[in-house]
Amino acid sequence: MAETEPPVLRLLEVRKNFEGVAALKGVSFEARPGELHALLGENGAGKSTLMAIAAGSLVPDAGVVEVAGLSASSLTPLAARAEGLAIVYQHPALVPDLTVFENVSMALTASRSGLPRRRSRWVVEQLARAGCTAPLNARISSLGVVQRQLLEIAKAIASEPRILVLDEPTAALGADDTEILFGELRRLAASGCAVVYITHRLAEVRALCQRVTVLRDGEVRGTFEVDAIADAQILELIVGRAVTTTFPPKPDVRAEAEPVLAVDGLSGRGFHEVTMAASVGQIVGFGGIVGNGQGDVLRALAGLEPATGRVRIGGRRLRLGSPQAALRAGIVYLSPDRLNEGLFGALAVRENASVSVLGQFSQLGFVRRRAESSAVEAQREALALRTSSINANVLTLSGGNQQKVLIARALVNEGVRVVLADEPTQGVDVGARIEIYRILRQLADAGVAVVVLSSDVRELEGLCDVVYVYSAGSVVAELAGEAVRQDAMTEAMLTSTERRRAVVSRSLEGGPRRPFLRRVADGNYAAAVVIAAAVLVLGGYTDAHNSRFLTAFNLSSLTVLISSLAFIAMGQACVVMTGGIDLSVGPLAGLTVVVGSFFENSGKSWWECIGGFGVIFAVAIATGLFNGTMVRAAKFTPVAATLVTYIALQGVSLVLRPFQAGYIATSVLKVVNASIGDFAWAFLIALAAAVALEYGLRRRRWGLGLRAVGSDIGAAFRLGVRPTRSVIGAYVASSVLTAVGGVLLMAQVGVGDPTQGVSYTLASVTAVVLGGTSIFGGRGSFVGVVLGAVLVEELLNVTTFLGLSEAWQYWFQGVLVFVAVGIYTRAAGHGGRPSLRALRQLLATREEVAS
Amino acid sequence: MAIGVPPAPAGARARDVVARWRTSIGIFVGTGLLYALSAIVEPQSLGKGALAAMWPFAAVLVLASLGQTLVVQQRGIDLSVPGFISLTVVLVTHLPNGSSSKLAGAVLLAYGVSIGAGLVSGLMVTKIGIPSIVQTLGMNAVLYGIDVGISNGTPTQTTTALQNFANGSALGIPVPLLVGLAAALVLELTIKRTSAGRRFEASGSSYAAGRAAGLHCDRHQIAAYIGAAVLYCTAGVMLAGIVTQPDAFSGDSYLLPSVAAVVLGGTSLLGGVGSVVASTGGAIFLSQLQQFVLTTGASAAVQNLVEAGALAVGVAVYGIRFRPGLLTSVVGRRPRRAPAASVRVAPSQPEPPPEVVRARYGATDGD
Repeated sequence: MAETEPPVLRLLEVRKNFEGVAALKGVSFEARPGELHALLGENGAGKSTLMAIAAGSLVPDAGVVEVAGLSASSLTPLAARAEGLAIVYQHPALVPDLTVFENVSMALTASRSGLPRRRSRWVVEQLARAGCTAPLNARISSLGVVQRQLLEIAKAIASEPRILVLDEPTAALGADDTEILFGELRRLAASGCAVVYITHRLAEVRALCQRVTVLRDGEVRGTFEVDAIADAQILELIVGRAVTTTFPPKPDVRAEAEPVLAVDGLSGRGFHEVTMAASVGQIVGFGGIVGNGQGDVLRALAGLEPATGRVRIGGRRLRLGSPQAALRAGIVYLSPDRLNEGLFGALAVRENASVSVLGQFSQLGFVRRRAESSAVEAQREALALRTSSINANVLTLSGGNQQKVLIARALVNEGVRVVLADEPTQGVDVGARIEIYRILRQLADAGVAVVVLSSDVRELEGLCDVVYVYSAGSVVAELAGEAVRQDAMTEAMLTSTERRRAVVSRSLEGGPRRPFLRRVADGNYAAAVVIAAAVLVLGGYTDAHNSRFLTAFNLSSLTVLISSLAFIAMGQACVVMTGGIDLSVGPLAGLTVVVGSFFENSGKSWWECIGGFGVIFAVAIATGLFNGTMVRAAKFTPVAATLVTYIALQGVSLVLRPFQAGYIATSVLKVVNASIGDFAWAFLIALAAAVALEYGLRRRRWGLGLRAVGSDIGAAFRLGVRPTRSVIGAYVASSVLTAVGGVLLMAQVGVGDPTQGVSYTLASVTAVVLGGTSIFGGRGSFVGVVLGAVLVEELLNVTTFLGLSEAWQYWFQGVLVFVAVGIYTRAAGHGGRPSLRALRQLLATREEVAS
Repeated sequence: MAIGVPPAPAGARARDVVARWRTSIGIFVGTGLLYALSAIVEPQSLGKGALAAMWPFAAVLVLASLGQTLVVQQRGIDLSVPGFISLTVVLVTHLPNGSSSKLAGAVLLAYGVSIGAGLVSGLMVTKIGIPSIVQTLGMNAVLYGIDVGISNGTPTQTTTALQNFANGSALGIPVPLLVGLAAALVLELTIKRTSAGRRFEASGSSYAAGRAAGLHCDRHQIAAYIGAAVLYCTAGVMLAGIVTQPDAFSGDSYLLPSVAAVVLGGTSLLGGVGSVVASTGGAIFLSQLQQFVLTTGASAAVQNLVEAGALAVGVAVYGIRFRPGLLTSVVGRRPRRAPAASVRVAPSQPEPPPEVVRARYGATDGD
């Protein structure tokens, strides 16, 4: 074997502290070419920190790092990637608004191998190698968990890495996909790649790896040949010592007890015809391979997902699809995503615990603080909640104690009848885990029906009285009493009819069949088509009523107006696509006019005129850098940052030109306002610029980076985008394009007027939104933006030709924005509430909690 | 069960209180400093005449900022402040057209229209899913459509009744300021002390968590837009009384300051927990800053620059807290919490049970 070769990944005595807490206490780890090396350890043992250091995302406090010939000083994520390091993240590093092809090509252009010439066919072949069947032009947001994970694996393998790190890659995968993956990993290792495999499953270590390293509490507990060590020994190393504590004792089987929760024929997205019951005093388990519908059933019972069927709580029919109705019926749901969906991160422990039942502590609508505090204090005691005070912010607690705060929400609830706990012990340290088991059992003893979902069969075996095993969205086994055993559950999961699984998983993976309107609107140019049609219809109608509308004079002056707004709006679009907004474009356009009025006058020499444009663009670049730096480096929200600039730029304009002065030379006006045929040449340039920018947005790396940052900044970073560069670049581009628009505006105004330009801020946002660019970032089109600008200016223009009052200009704009955005957000399924999108992503990655 | 619970250590309690009020304290300290500075450098800016001229306008900004705070707390931003204020001004001046007897009807109509528009915005944002910034941009245009439709863009003399009301004073305090402070007080009590207010605040800080906890997130959001509309309308009524001949676009100058006041008050523009009292402080701070700069004889230009500077400082002070997850999400991990979890296990805690660990690793031998 490759024992003699020098390690390609070497970490020596690496230390890393976070705020004084040691995460790694002198860890040494190495991987040789051609070996399959497993890395084992509890949550919080330091595995992820170690790998983040190897990937260059974190800098160690001390120690030696050598990755593919790079030392710690030159190790950045990009450099590591270029030298052949690839990482398969547990939470796939994929940008949701970009297509499969765009994601893969972004990942690979930064890698060692790069992209070959016949791109799309090659990408399809690479995807096939990992068993990924996602279509190249599908957006990631339309893919299911399994396809995303397979794609994540495929793009790592396709880069032909020298070092491949996989962080629990099989969590969401079935047996078939796991086999394909293992085959590829063995092939890679045979060709000399060092594979580091992070997992929780000993069976996988045995099946795949040659060596295993165990990490506990930031220290290496040993590296062994897999064949030379028994499972029991490995476990002992992971845990620290052999111990005997177990789950709380199960009470005698209380069959025939009246069910508190009775579910009959419940169907919804991801599950169908689920029938189950939970009796007083029972802990009911939901088992199954992750993503087989069990989580969706819990969410449906909590009212968070729509469903059909019959659910009775204590004999009373539950209204489905309403979280409030579920709460009133006594259902308390403990989300697996504690940080986003479980807890209110901005609030204190007390507020988090009491939020659902404030009515209990209220008199005449006012909360009696003392009653609330003593109720929560009581639970703090009962739960052994470790916090400095119940008024401490909930995020200062450890994962286990955060989970207890969620459980406290059930305990303070006087009307609680059913507790739905989704992965209650994930990301929880072992000590707190035992306490959570005890508390859940006490809840059951107190007469509450407890439903526990777990991907861990041993946890189900130890804790539950009854277990329902899910496969492909249905219950495939109901085990009770003595039958609640690990082997029985595993058997039920694996032997459920393959055919049915295959059918359902395909329909789940292919994405829901989307309505036609939504599919069209999901494309990049739906908005552009709608807006172009509106422009033509409006123009035609106006021409029919007033023939002067389409005269050369009106067309050329209208297109001059359009081109100013078009450039400014394209600038705005750059920022909006990154998920920000640039309020300062209006005042910057105004400042451009003011600055120009000092240079572009008659009687100035030609070099002063040229130099003047230099000053204009220098000011613009400085403004963009300032905005971008405030957003990225100083962490201002985009609104706050550009609001500061907005006010400051207005101030500067007023300082420079307190009054109108500085007439622009006619020669300059002539050049800028010149027309070709009926159209201003500036308009034609704007169109050309839009097409060029559009090409870059779709095909060039900067364009992909811009959209990637707006879509998911974390994933973009892991794909090799430099977020800071993209964001600051977007603000600079915005300012420069605004300056171009400002120069055109200057030629229309003809004099240094400090009050000009401000209205372009709102007008540019209107044009951007009309053009179909998502205000949440990630999606957009420059062509659409220019068409949006055309429509805005055309609307203002036609009111005069149609003899309408000034009020109509406002009406038109307002109603148009509503209608357009309403249709796009509805159809594109963004659901407006940004959190809905987050919810969906959350569903897709439910197995990933802290690690 | 509560018996025997040890009181929280005084230090911890103090820390929690400070943490809770840190953002609110900042703006009041800042305002205090500004007043001290004004008293030393430009005493005229605190003169009776100067204050009498400033307070009514400050009150209008207070009301606008309160409304903005409500919307921002529900994760939105309201660009329709000018539309609401301007339309209200037009309704209560053009409809009575100088006749005080018609004023009451006009004011009622203004509130009716505002509440209706607020409801529409709330419904569009929650039920249709239009982003707040776009919805309010559109609503602003629609309100201005009505505004210009009625006024043709020309100003009208205000009614004497409204003028007398808005320029009056009670307990030595100008009526508009009294209204503004009363509104702030009522809102603060409602949000912090009532159960409905507490739910409003919680669901504003996290939609996903609010939904999972069974809160009526949509209703709270709609309520924010309606409440904001009522406050803007009140601001407009006051403004129409303070100014003898208010023009049809007089709300325009309140949009940015209202956002600035919210930011200075420490409410994150990403939504969540905020303080209407702190926003009131922000509005008063901005008004006094304006007054101070004007009294020094500086131009409007300098005033802009000073405001921008104050805002930048304000944001920078709170800004660090705005997106705690940003850096870590970029790095792909949570350095603050994840490693801490393993360390926080007290030494006295029970050791991990093998069952648990074995289960998680799917050990097969030794069964």
